[in-house]
Amino acid sequence: MKTLRWVIAIFLFGWLGQYLMAVMIPYLVMERLYIKAAERTGYNQLVVISRIDETSRWVVRPSPDLMYASCMYNLEEGPLAISAPVPERYWSMQFYQMNTDNFASITNQRKQQSRVGTRVEVTLVGPDASPSDYAGEVIQSPSVRGVMLMRASGIGNDSQMLSALNNSRCSPLNQVASS
Amino acid sequence: MRNGDWYTSKSVGSIHADATTRAMIAISGLLASTQQDSMYYTLRSVSGRPLRLNCRYRIEGGEYEANWWSITAYGPDYFLIPNQEKRYSYNNENIARDDNGQWVIHISTHKETGNWLPVGASVTDVDHQNSNYDFDLLLRLYTPGDTYLQNPESAPLPTVTREECS
Repeated sequence: MKTLRWVIAIFLFGWLGQYLMAVMIPYLVMERLYIKAAERTGYNQLVVISRIDETSRWVVRPSPDLMYASCMYNLEEGPLAISAPVPERYWSMQFYQMNTDNFASITNQRKQQSRVGTRVEVTLVGPDASPSDYAGEVIQSPSVRGVMLMRASGIGNDSQMLSALNNSRCSPLNQVASS
Repeated sequence: MRNGDWYTSKSVGSIHADATTRAMIAISGLLASTQQDSMYYTLRSVSGRPLRLNCRYRIEGGEYEANWWSITAYGPDYFLIPNQEKRYSYNNENIARDDNGQWVIHISTHKETGNWLPVGASVTDVDHQNSNYDFDLLLRLYTPGDTYLQNPESAPLPTVTREECS
C-alpha cells in the first residue's frame, strides 16, 4: 500500500511539473522576445521588416512571402495610438498578449474587406483602462505588455504593401494628441 | 490533427488553446495567427520516414480554397535554410504550373529544373540526436475557406512523395 502511494505521488508530481512547465514556456519565450526586441528597437514604436531571409531570426518561422511591422507595446504609461493605411492585398494587424494568445485582429479579409482604402485608427488600452473613455476603435489588451504585429503580402508587386507599412504608426496617445 | 502526412491544430494562436498547444506554438511558431486568418500545416515525415537532406522529394498540388498560399522549408532550428538562390518558399503567384494549373516542386540539396526548393544545413548547429528530421515544410493558407475551417483533417492538400535517397 505504501509503495502504491509513492507511485501515485510520483505520477502526480510528474504530471504537475510538466503542466507547470507548459504553462510557463509561453511567458518565458515572449519575455525573451520582448526584451531582445525592446533592447534593439525600443518599445511603443513601429519597426518595419520588409525583407525576410535566413538572417531574419527575431522570431521563429518567419515567412519570406510576407512583410512585417511590429510594435512591442508597454501600456504602463498610457494607451497607444496605432494608425495604418489598409492596402488591397492581404494585410492584417494582430495583437498578442504575453502568454502568446492572439487576442485581437483587424484585417482586410472576409467581412472586413470594406477597410481596404481606409485608414485604421486604433487606440490600444491596458487591462485596467475603461475602453468607453476613448473615442473610435478601441482594443483592450489583457496584459500591460504585448506585441502588435502587422503582416502584409510580400508576393508579386509589393510596393503598395511596403508603402502601407512605412506609412503606419504606433506611438503613445498623449504624443499624438499633443502634436 | 492529421491530414495525410500534414499536421495542423485548430487552436493555434487562439485564446482557447490549451497549455500544451500554447507551449508548442511558443517554441516552434511564436506569433502564429488564428485559423480564421491563416491555417498552418506542417510536414516532417513522408509515410513515417523523416525528411532527410540525402533524399529528393516531390510535392504535387493545384489550387486551394484560400486567398493565397505558400509552402516554406525550415531547418530544425525553425529558421529559413540558407541557399545561394535565396529561395525559401513558393507561393500561388510565383510557382510555375502546367496548362491545367497543376504544379510540382522538387526538394533537394542539388539544383533541379522547374520549381526547385533548395534545402541544406541550418545556420544553427542543431543537435541531430534531439531532432529526428533534417528540415520540415510549412504550408500556409491565408484566409482559408470553409473546407479547411470545417474539415481540416480531410481538406485537399499537396501530396509529398520521397523519391531516391543517396
